[in-house]
Amino acid sequence: MADEASFRVVVVDDEPLARTVIREYLKAHPGVEIVAECGNGFEAVKAVTELSPDLMFLDIQMPKLDGFEVLELLGRSVPVVFTTAFDQYALRAFDVHAVDYLLKPFDATRFSEALMRARARIQAAEALPVDALMADARPRQAPAERVLIRDGSQVHVIPVDRIDYVEAQDDYVCFKADGKDYLKDQTMAAVEATLDPTRFVRVHRSYVLNIERIARVELYAKDSRIAILRDGRRLPVSRAGYARLSKLL
Amino acid sequence: MHPLLARGERLALYLALWIIVGALLASLLAGEGGLSTRAAAVIAFPLSLAYAFVCLSAWYVARSTPIATSGLPRLLSTALGAAALSSGAWVILARGWHNVLVRWGDVRAPFGEVAPIIFGFGVLLYLLSIAVGYIASAFEHARAAERRELQAQVMSKEAELRSLRAQIDPHFLFNSLHSISALTAADPAGARRMTVLLGDFLRESLSLGAAERIPLSRELALLHRYLAIERVRLGERLQVAIDGGDAGACLVPPLLLQPVVENAVTHGVAHVLEGGNVTVTATCSPVQLTIVVKNPADADRPRKTGTGLGLANVRSRLAALYGRSASVNWAEQDGTWRVEIVLPATRDVQDGDKTNG
Repeated sequence: MADEASFRVVVVDDEPLARTVIREYLKAHPGVEIVAECGNGFEAVKAVTELSPDLMFLDIQMPKLDGFEVLELLGRSVPVVFTTAFDQYALRAFDVHAVDYLLKPFDATRFSEALMRARARIQAAEALPVDALMADARPRQAPAERVLIRDGSQVHVIPVDRIDYVEAQDDYVCFKADGKDYLKDQTMAAVEATLDPTRFVRVHRSYVLNIERIARVELYAKDSRIAILRDGRRLPVSRAGYARLSKLL
Repeated sequence: MHPLLARGERLALYLALWIIVGALLASLLAGEGGLSTRAAAVIAFPLSLAYAFVCLSAWYVARSTPIATSGLPRLLSTALGAAALSSGAWVILARGWHNVLVRWGDVRAPFGEVAPIIFGFGVLLYLLSIAVGYIASAFEHARAAERRELQAQVMSKEAELRSLRAQIDPHFLFNSLHSISALTAADPAGARRMTVLLGDFLRESLSLGAAERIPLSRELALLHRYLAIERVRLGERLQVAIDGGDAGACLVPPLLLQPVVENAVTHGVAHVLEGGNVTVTATCSPVQLTIVVKNPADADRPRKTGTGLGLANVRSRLAALYGRSASVNWAEQDGTWRVEIVLPATRDVQDGDKTNG
């Protein structure tokens, strides 16, 4: 088992006993080392960012950040085996995207299988279909009430009503909130899709604006306008953006 | 719509009854009025049929002055007035018919002799019709009440089923089994304790679910078991304080609090990093039982509505069982989620055996 010598895993579960099970099963795989055990999502993001493990065992129902949110924050940076008691949405999504998951309670044989499969996948360098999984596995729910942003090993939780606007910046988007800038690896289309369409409008190719921040909209030139925010900042408004905005106001 | 006019066969039956009335009137006219049998019959039958339609109006009279809400003077004056009016109209009609018959030569007796008989008979018939109208509406009321009662029962059973189905939460069950699996190697005695706890909890909740009402103390004992299991899973993060006060003997629908406390754990304490206290407090006044469940909530995930938390189920169940005299309300304040249930206080006195069955 020479190739197991360098295999490092992180175990994430809010129940100490559930972590005990994985610890026990891993005793049969001497080359696998648990580099961190985490009891919540924040710890998981921190541990994975700092330790870059080879694999993460991730529970779904957890305080603060659930398994999906941890995955959203970490993106494709780490292979994952989900451990869950039961979640009909998630199970269907896992099957569709061929992501491995362990249903609690699970036995040592099933656990070893999952471990082997994950290692094979890592060797084949297959990427995890994070975006598709996220879209399918989250229960259909109301628009996001908060935005999660990872800054190194730190996680910022921004309630959506604090967001002034979102600006496209090259491959990132920048959330402007409480006078600070938060960069996130996301597309403008995804931002638009997650935020409440009755409160946030894409006024321009590069801007999604919180309509509560608008003081007024002025005509700037023929067919082009600018939105003046309550704090005096000015954002361009395209013709299509103005049409969308008019519909809401 | 008038119930007799609504269906053709009912009207036919009604008119057939009036042929008997016609025969009665004819014999009266022949006996008391001194008419020949043939003359009496010719006068009586067509008049009876005509009066049959007049008496249909008695149903509206009965409906416009319900017995329950109208006083006796009003009832009597309305009924007598309507009867006199209808019968008066009938007498006028009879007089016209009498004139026609006299002209045809069928009848010779003067109208003055039979008029009082016809009037008196008409008043009696109309009063009888009003009485029948009252009986019919009472019957209708009884049927409607029965239907409402049945509906309430069905709703309450549905709510019961929903709560039973919800109460063996698959998450809870699978996670508990997983905990037992963990304990078998690390702490065999603990594993055994947990299986016994789980077995007791399941058995108890199944048997409680079969009862109609149980003393609050039994419901609280079940919550103790449930929370003991959750404490094995969540460890020190979950603290519990249950205070039944003097309300232990008050009767509650079984498993009423179970989903509320389950929420307090799975949507409350489990989402808070440092955990917290689930408190259940009951107070009982002579008329009202108040139960308050409190738990810490994650400030980052405000839950303003109880939908999806099963609280709507609790509300519909209470509504089906108690109507407007019970309520459930919830709110979040300063990081604490609070659910308050209020229901009429009933105590376990004479039917103590029933609830234990």
